[in-house]
Amino acid sequence: MLEAKNITVRIGQKTLLDNVSVSFEPGKLNLIIGPNGAGKSTLIKVISQQLRKHEGEVFYNSENVHSLSERKMAQMRAVLSQNIDLAFPLKVWEVVMMGRYPHFVETPRQIDQQAVEEAMEFFNIIEMAERNYLTLSGGEKQRVHFARVLTQIWYPKEGHNRFLLLDEPLTFLDVKYQFQFMHKLQELLENKDLVVIGVVHDLNLAARFGDMICLLDKGQLLASGPKLEVLSEDNIRSVFQLEPILYRNRVKDTVHLFFE
Amino acid sequence: MLEPQPLASFFKHYEMKKLSIVLLASLITMGCGRFSNKDEKQANEQRIVCLAKQYNEIIFALGAEENLVAVDLSSTYPPEIKELPTVGYHRALSTEGILSTKPTIIIHDNNVGPEQVMQQMEKLEIPMKVFDAPGNDIPSTKDLITEMGAYFGKEEKAVAINAKIDKEMALAMENLKDYPSRPKVVIIHYGRASNIYLTMTSGSNAGKMIEWAGGEMAIDGERGMMQLSAEIIAKSNPDVILLTDFGYDRLNGMQEVKNLPGVSTTKAAQNNRIFRVEEHDMVYFGPRTGEIVMNLQELIHKNEGL
Amino acid sequence: MKAFNNQNKAWLMTMLVLMVVTFVFSMKLGAITITWEEIQSTLSKWMSGQEMNLQERIFFQIRLPRALAGVFVGASLAVAGVLMQALFRNPIVEPGLIGTSSGAAFGASLYFVLGAVMEFNAGEWTLPLAACLGGTLSTVLVFLLAQNRSSGKSSVVALLLTGIAINALFLSGVGLLSYLARDPQARSIIFWNLGTLSGANWISISIIGAITLICLLVALRYAKPLNALMMGEDEAVFLGVNLKKLQIIIIALNVLLVAVATAFVGVISFVGLVVPHLLRLMKGSDNRFLLLGSALLGAIMLSLSDLASRLLLAPAELPIGIVTSLVGVPVFIALLRKKQYFF
Repeated sequence: MLEAKNITVRIGQKTLLDNVSVSFEPGKLNLIIGPNGAGKSTLIKVISQQLRKHEGEVFYNSENVHSLSERKMAQMRAVLSQNIDLAFPLKVWEVVMMGRYPHFVETPRQIDQQAVEEAMEFFNIIEMAERNYLTLSGGEKQRVHFARVLTQIWYPKEGHNRFLLLDEPLTFLDVKYQFQFMHKLQELLENKDLVVIGVVHDLNLAARFGDMICLLDKGQLLASGPKLEVLSEDNIRSVFQLEPILYRNRVKDTVHLFFE
Repeated sequence: MLEPQPLASFFKHYEMKKLSIVLLASLITMGCGRFSNKDEKQANEQRIVCLAKQYNEIIFALGAEENLVAVDLSSTYPPEIKELPTVGYHRALSTEGILSTKPTIIIHDNNVGPEQVMQQMEKLEIPMKVFDAPGNDIPSTKDLITEMGAYFGKEEKAVAINAKIDKEMALAMENLKDYPSRPKVVIIHYGRASNIYLTMTSGSNAGKMIEWAGGEMAIDGERGMMQLSAEIIAKSNPDVILLTDFGYDRLNGMQEVKNLPGVSTTKAAQNNRIFRVEEHDMVYFGPRTGEIVMNLQELIHKNEGL
Repeated sequence: MKAFNNQNKAWLMTMLVLMVVTFVFSMKLGAITITWEEIQSTLSKWMSGQEMNLQERIFFQIRLPRALAGVFVGASLAVAGVLMQALFRNPIVEPGLIGTSSGAAFGASLYFVLGAVMEFNAGEWTLPLAACLGGTLSTVLVFLLAQNRSSGKSSVVALLLTGIAINALFLSGVGLLSYLARDPQARSIIFWNLGTLSGANWISISIIGAITLICLLVALRYAKPLNALMMGEDEAVFLGVNLKKLQIIIIALNVLLVAVATAFVGVISFVGLVVPHLLRLMKGSDNRFLLLGSALLGAIMLSLSDLASRLLLAPAELPIGIVTSLVGVPVFIALLRKKQYFF
């Protein structure tokens, strides 16, 4: 369980988030959507604590983030963002191993190596383990980072949730990779202790794969809850100012969204 | 963040260093050959290493050079001294380098470095000798020669040298009557670096020699040498310019010297009164000082009235 | 299961052996010929506390400390290079970037020019102290000026740019001092800026050695966060790195390493830049490996440079800064041309 309570973010005269309170459930794909400037990115940065200057509070497993050290946070929360590059050449497995850094002191233990290997198997990058990261394609790089981020929270911890935050990780990726990625996410969500919160720009993708949707507009929370409720014609029309056409499939629990 | 600034700063840093490297490289080429000189006095029982150019000239004048086994790089007079092994520049010495010449005594004038090297030699209790007389004017130089004569057991020779100095200085003063004019002189040492001239001042040893030679130093100053811009040289408008050997030889002949910025507009350049002098004649006093002063008298009054 | 661990032990061992061999040569060779028997007798006399003869004292008080200085100073400059390149996420950064060596040079120049005038005097320690203070002062200045007033955080870009500015300031200070200086003092400044190991003694070696080892051990504990920093500051924080603490510790280590080494041996350039570079070309950029490897390779490179500096013109001496530049510049340009790093 992750809760954000009364989050307000101001930069100068501008209010980016205005008293937003929202909570996210484990085992579900929680997606934050909204038009440009709605505050999606700001909200995910507050949740990940990349942005620390805000009013209101964020709780991980009912613990206030202000009382957690960077390392403690890193042991249960992983963040995948877009377009990460390295300043120096490293091997692919060395990049993935970074995910284990919050867990060991100086040299990787057996269990860390196992996590790295399993994650690389899961993302089909095991055969490029020895390759130079800098020579990979964009899609391959993003898979490496997905593997890295997941090794960070590879093992469940009794009585605690694990948190995976996605800050527009699909930007600039091909449709093929986007779908591969979303399918992988769904596979991961079989772990019922995993809380996944993502910012996605593509509404169709959100409608197709999301479970819970959090709809922001002009820094305010417009609606949040199961996607079939949130993605109503009225909500979408008022936020995006376009006439939507929605195809709901209540049996498969999917929504397809088009605009006129 | 991977901007090229670090490179820029980096090279700027080396730009600064370039100057000193050029300086050093030239020192090395200047002394080239001297670094490979062989020690031909292996059998000597007394082995002297002397690290001061003024002392070295006096040692040769006294005829006490027999046991001199190595000298510093800037000791260049008399010409025979260039056949001795050198232990390098007198402010960049190394303990081992000096000790490898197996000295029984090291003579220096305190103008040596780096400091730690001198401390190391003190700790190893290597015998060192500094003479008392500072040798910074004629009487003190005579004292120095007397002192060194006593030290090397060449007292008679020392007396003779001092008599020669006195005689020649007296003669020089006498000759001054034939030179009523007092030309303004600038002495440029070391050529130039980006049109900045290292110039000897009235307070330097060379300044005193010019005074005795009946000239007037155009550049005043307490310190021996000053870095001066071309404008100041031009403004001082000397009648005579003297260039030391190293700077002069780097330029291709007189015409190029006359074209130097700051120099070209002076009376000296217009009247062909620019001359080459040896650095080791100008920077300290010694047995030849009277002789040198007389030569300078002739030099700085040459082409007068043209 | 495949072991995902650094397979670099063999490399490190090879370099360790090479370093020992270089050290032995550096101990054996020099302007004065010293035989194996003399080395042996010196060591046994040292252990039994007997009186040594002159040759043995030369070995013990001059040669041995100097050979050790090559090892320690080389190691400390190369380790500092790794730290700075990792912190600034930039392979062409050298340890002097944040002002440490130019500050040290300024401190030393101040001593050379004002030494006689100043009342401040700590005997033979005055020069190292002045240099060390200068180096620390300039780095602290860079760090304080680079702080962002609103967030209290200093980004590496701000540090880098401030470093460049402060470097320029202190270097022109050095320039001004050598301009004002009398000729012999100016020469002292020039030669100090070219570095030499010839002044090494047991006390300076103990200080440099202890600082080098302690800093290396501390640095190894920060190899992980420095690796994480390769992905950027935000990503490093996501991996549990306390960025502010990391910056302060790495900069403190760099000041200790560079200021102390520079204080005793003068400015020696290129070692901190080229050594980590070479290792990256051979074996990638894992900072744990780079730190250990650079310590060894730095020691090897500086020992070899010092051998060249004392043998090429023996009995005269070539400043070691010239040797490292002569070797370093071509290597550096070759590296730049290879475009290995996607600048």
